[in-house]
Amino acid sequence: MKRLLIIFLCTAAMMIPLSCADQLDINRNPLTASKADPNAVLPFVIVQYSNRTVTEIGTRMVDVYQHASATFNSPRGGGGAAGGFLSSNQWGMLYVTVLPNLSLVERDARAAGISNNNVAAIAVTLKALAFLDATSLFGDIPFSQALRAELFPQPDYDRQEDVLRGIVIMLDDAMDLIDALPATGTFNVAQGDLIYGGNMTNWRALANSLKIRVLMLLRNKDTSVDAQLTAALGEPYISSNTRAAMLQYPGNPGNQNAWLQIVTAFGTGSNETTNYFGPSPVMRQLLQDDPRLELYCVDGTAGGYKESDIGVFPTDEEARYSNNLIRANLPDIWLLPAEITFYRAELAAKGALAGDANALYRQAVTETLQFWGQTIPGAQKTLTTDQITSFVNGLPDINPLTQAQQLKAIGEQQYLATFWCPIVSWNHVRRTKVPAIEASPGSTITTMLKRLLYSPVERAANPKTPDDMLTDVPMWFEN
Amino acid sequence: MRKILLLIFCCSFLFAEAQERTVNGRVTSAEDGATLPGVNVLLKGTASGTVTDANGNYRLVIPDGGGTLVFSFIGFRSLEIPAGERTTVDASLVPDVTQLSEVVVTALGVERQSRELGYGLSGVKSEDLTVSREANILNALQGKVTGVTITQSSGNLGGSTKIIIRGVSSLSGRNNPLWVVDGVPINDAQDNTTSRITGNRDFAGGSAVINPDDVESINVLKGAAATALYGSRAAAGVIVVTTKKGKRGQGRATVTVNSSVRFDNLFRVPEYQNEYAGGANFKYDSTATANNWGPRIVGQQVTELGTGNRVALQAYKDNYKDFYRTGRTLINNIAFADGNEKGDYRLSVTSLNQVGILPNAELDRLTTSFNAGMKHSDKLRTRFGIQYISTQSQGTGVAGANDPNVFNLDGFVRSTNFKNFKPWIDENGNQLGFASPFDNNPFWLQHENKNEREDERFLGNFETIYSPIQELSFTARLGYDFDQDNRLITNRVGTRSRATGDFTIDKINRKQLNVDLIATYFKTFGSDYNLKMLGGFNYNKRGFSAETLFSQNLSIPELFNPSNALSNVPTRGFAEQTLFGAYGEASLSYKDWATLSVTGRNDWSSTLPADNRSYFYPSASLALVITDALGMKSKILNYGKLRASVAQVGNDTNPYQLDFNFIPAAVATGQYSLNQNFPFNGRLGFVAQNRIPPINLKPERQTTIEFGAELQFLNSRITLDVSYFSSSNKDQILAIPIPQSTGFATQTINVGEVVQEGVEISLDAKVIDGKNFKWNSIVNFTHNESTVKSLAQGTERILIASEFNNIQVVAVPGREFQLFTTTYLSDPVSGRPIINPANGLRQSGPVATRGSVMPDFTMGFINAFSYKGFTLSTTIDWRSGGLIHSATVAALWASGATAETAVNREGTFIDTHGVLANGDGTFRENDIPVRSAQTFWNNLAPSGAADATIFDASFAKLRELGLSYTVPSHILGTRFIRQLQVGVEGRNIALLYAKVPHIDPEANLFGAGVDGFGVERAAVPSTRSIGFNVRLTF
Repeated sequence: MKRLLIIFLCTAAMMIPLSCADQLDINRNPLTASKADPNAVLPFVIVQYSNRTVTEIGTRMVDVYQHASATFNSPRGGGGAAGGFLSSNQWGMLYVTVLPNLSLVERDARAAGISNNNVAAIAVTLKALAFLDATSLFGDIPFSQALRAELFPQPDYDRQEDVLRGIVIMLDDAMDLIDALPATGTFNVAQGDLIYGGNMTNWRALANSLKIRVLMLLRNKDTSVDAQLTAALGEPYISSNTRAAMLQYPGNPGNQNAWLQIVTAFGTGSNETTNYFGPSPVMRQLLQDDPRLELYCVDGTAGGYKESDIGVFPTDEEARYSNNLIRANLPDIWLLPAEITFYRAELAAKGALAGDANALYRQAVTETLQFWGQTIPGAQKTLTTDQITSFVNGLPDINPLTQAQQLKAIGEQQYLATFWCPIVSWNHVRRTKVPAIEASPGSTITTMLKRLLYSPVERAANPKTPDDMLTDVPMWFEN
Repeated sequence: MRKILLLIFCCSFLFAEAQERTVNGRVTSAEDGATLPGVNVLLKGTASGTVTDANGNYRLVIPDGGGTLVFSFIGFRSLEIPAGERTTVDASLVPDVTQLSEVVVTALGVERQSRELGYGLSGVKSEDLTVSREANILNALQGKVTGVTITQSSGNLGGSTKIIIRGVSSLSGRNNPLWVVDGVPINDAQDNTTSRITGNRDFAGGSAVINPDDVESINVLKGAAATALYGSRAAAGVIVVTTKKGKRGQGRATVTVNSSVRFDNLFRVPEYQNEYAGGANFKYDSTATANNWGPRIVGQQVTELGTGNRVALQAYKDNYKDFYRTGRTLINNIAFADGNEKGDYRLSVTSLNQVGILPNAELDRLTTSFNAGMKHSDKLRTRFGIQYISTQSQGTGVAGANDPNVFNLDGFVRSTNFKNFKPWIDENGNQLGFASPFDNNPFWLQHENKNEREDERFLGNFETIYSPIQELSFTARLGYDFDQDNRLITNRVGTRSRATGDFTIDKINRKQLNVDLIATYFKTFGSDYNLKMLGGFNYNKRGFSAETLFSQNLSIPELFNPSNALSNVPTRGFAEQTLFGAYGEASLSYKDWATLSVTGRNDWSSTLPADNRSYFYPSASLALVITDALGMKSKILNYGKLRASVAQVGNDTNPYQLDFNFIPAAVATGQYSLNQNFPFNGRLGFVAQNRIPPINLKPERQTTIEFGAELQFLNSRITLDVSYFSSSNKDQILAIPIPQSTGFATQTINVGEVVQEGVEISLDAKVIDGKNFKWNSIVNFTHNESTVKSLAQGTERILIASEFNNIQVVAVPGREFQLFTTTYLSDPVSGRPIINPANGLRQSGPVATRGSVMPDFTMGFINAFSYKGFTLSTTIDWRSGGLIHSATVAALWASGATAETAVNREGTFIDTHGVLANGDGTFRENDIPVRSAQTFWNNLAPSGAADATIFDASFAKLRELGLSYTVPSHILGTRFIRQLQVGVEGRNIALLYAKVPHIDPEANLFGAGVDGFGVERAAVPSTRSIGFNVRLTF
């Protein structure tokens, strides 16, 4: 009896865990971190921002502003396609991934003092860029109450005008942070900064350039910002192609620009044979006699770089965008110096800024061709300086033209300069109406798509989300 | 009072002075020789008595002069035996078919008389599970149990089947029941490392390894009262599996051989059209894939896809048969079993070998099971069991979209000869067959991209029981579940849309350690009262780890080695959780017709905050056998039991929900899964979680009341069992969506309530009970309503699961789970789509809920006819109500593949279902022609509006059909073979009724792991199986 009891108790005792408390205190994930270095967070933010934007606003919407003839699942015709997953994916990327992570980086950097001002300035500049994207896509957006969940569990929506003015203040703040950096002992953010490798001079110029971009949108409705604009143009901005703001895709497998990935995932791995993306009639017309036509396109069997109609994918007979454009290491371009030069040309043509509109126009075109034909990393095709000079010299002098003709000429070239910069391109045609983009065939709307519908995910959770406008209702900044 | 005391004193004196002796013995069942615990042993004419212990032994003090012992036990005839002068009196009790109160296995493996249970319980016996043997035991339960909904996802070998018990109670996906095998919880997770919508490889969940040949019985514990002793793991119900044990043989070991061979074919084939060829706009295109809008087939000369030959255009009516093949299933089981007074054992080996209907699809499973028990003495027994299950599969079909490996029923272009697609690869590794640069030869997909899985599973349990005295016993039980699941998902170089090749290696490990220490005590007070008490302690620890490697850009095309890839992205997952439980039960019976049971369990969970990790779950139940209580001797109602219960169970949560963390990022995502890997240009990526962690999280609580009745009529010829239940599931642990503009996507809090109400009816009738001919009929009926009563304030709906094109399953307050989608712009009165007058097409409207995805009711009809040695068994499974969206039907229509798309193809095509708006709020019949029939069918889902392909999912199936013949023993004429049974068996024999065209209405995109009911997309077609079975007992 006693022996059996001992046997049983020994067996049972072996099954009992030693300490209940130790066994229960195991609820911390060993594979995650409670803090993260900005050099680890910023790369994710930058790459996620770029990749999502390229795949949603790029590969799905490049036919809205008609840089290409057609895309898959395009919202160009308006209706529900301008919402749904397109909106929720992009909204979620901006509000749930990019902006809050940048806020955390900014918070920690500010708390660390002025030696971390560079990190804070990068975070604020990127936040400004993300908010600019958000308002460019959706119009009125949560801004002043956004990202403050404890105080504002259901953020209000701010008018686009207020958002744009708020972004200008953010960019001023970013520049102030950089100006207050100590000469030495700053946090080394070179690893995390995939754009400029920690070069804060470039970041200050980028912040100012973005400010100019925003002020140009504001100016479309309110010329009282001209003083701000003039002042900004007096400060350093991105003025050289070597300082162009862009994310360089390494091009190695797994890190290829999504423009090529979509062709690889669903096609042959070459747009020239898969025939997904080809020039629209507008693009084809503007590129007539332009060396960029051969730079961007391969000809079809019909010859003459025949374009495809809007909504129609190119065939072998028609022109397709070349593998020089759609390639693994194509950079995602955020801001080129030509953009600012075109703004200066436009302002000069409007008499809002001192300067020679024609000279600035030619300078901007030259900068564009130099970037795409010479500076852009990884190019498979290039342009010689003679080709560029010859083309620019062949452009008409716009100074004798009427202001409207001048603005048309500047606007058309700027449209080409925003090539493959999705939101910048869309904003350009909405702001300037140059070139005139018609509603695509079969549209449920009467004009080019002007806005996306709000994210259904946000709408389901935030009762303050306004009713969706029709997708051909212009943005506030449009005239 | 003084008189009474004096009387007691005198009696005590008399007893003390009387001559006494002890008699002992063992009580066994005359049916199988098994010992019977809990038998009442009474000295006739006195109040002196006892009950047998766990081994069937008893010891009773009787007068020296002897007396008569009365042995009584529920389900057996009472037996009286004069003790005489003997000191050992053994008894062999004969079952009493008129009492029909069977012993059932309840929570924690405790055996109880069914008449004592105050809650409903459904059981299935071994022989019912193997009428038509199944690789996945869940499929064998279809139609046989009330209160459950069982859905087989597809016809994939090794695919998943989902079971939910009494509807959905959780909004967070915790609706899969707990599986308990021989008293030990096992892992039933369905791990899915691929996207459930973009290329879903649906591998079965953990319970699929349970081998029907090794199962003695399955009991489904449905209500909270039945599962209360499992506390925080019990909210979704419990399935208790008891495996077969060795029994005392007829002087020798019993050897059983059970062999089946079965052949599988498509259960349902779309009604294809055979008038029009591949192409578009009546123009033939030999490269057409999923496009049947070419010319009318009249024998014109065309270039043939695959060969390039000039041939006469023709329809290949059965071209799907050149792809899908006849599947074959072999199930062979051999089992050795024996037992005697000291011990027992059973060794079973089962080999399952399947080839699927998909080319190159194979599954091989070897199940080895061994259990043994030893009685070391009257006081100490031990038992252990081990099962080792090894499964290898390949050729798993891919469901969903956006994955080049998806090949759907719309791929069978009517003018395409699939015989031309073999061979699919040339000697240089290039793909042959399809000319399109975007589409893959389906034989290439099946043979070169094999979706391999190797699953090694070990289940072990050990139990020791110590009974120091008859009334008291202690049980220590340990169980361990180990699963190593290795997968290789490949795209060979040359796969179109994955031209550079890639592969994913998953190594998933799950383990679970479970310990129960249980003390039981039972005591009989006089002849009327019976007390059973149980107390115990539970320790449960679960661990999960997963190592995944995604490799891209291969050098050698078919070498799936990371060193052969230019890009490798490793990721790791890990989670562990611990649960402690202390539980108890007290059950008091009066005269065997009234039993009151109360239980309580306190759990401590590692997944909850320290201040809230302790929580208590109570239950109470009452069983009343009214026929005994009222002394009814009616032949019409010979047995009647009423039952009632109230109970509370719950749910803790997943590990690691409480902290705010930064997570290392493996990829930055993009549309169409166009992702960027990290490191990116030498940089790692970290990202903050997008969920606000909870404060003071509490466990979910489910409170259930249940009433029921079990009535037996006409000398138990007819048995009716009815249950009604109502439950409320509060404090749901939900990551509720919050405005993303806050910077977060979700916040985890206790919120929301789901209420359930249901009725379950089971009617079992021996319609004919003749000497030679018997007909037994069972009808099972289940009606459940699981209604989302509330969500968080301001939250309109919560996403449960999502397909493409905005088709979602959502939780909306006041309703059952809803199908939610973009709708047609429609006439609000008639619901008919409003036609665009410019083009004659339907238009998209707002997003809206379209109705419940849950069935209104399910019914099962089981009939067994036996004549002499012949038995014919049938099971019909009927599901009524609920919606399903079929993307396959949408694809069939858009591709012009099916018969309805051939109607009026060449004439003026007007959408007669549509209406035109008059502009004043009224509508008229549509008379605007569409440009062509092709345009109409191609544009049935403008902007994702899915109304046209949402169907009532109701169906009725002849689920099982079995005909067996047991050869009479006199014909066998030898003692070597004791029993020989041969039979024909079939599963999914016929679709008797369905409203969904072309597909199996049961198909499910999401698999068992999530609650995505009502959505189908490119499911591998389900199968009809017919085969033969031989069962031998030596």
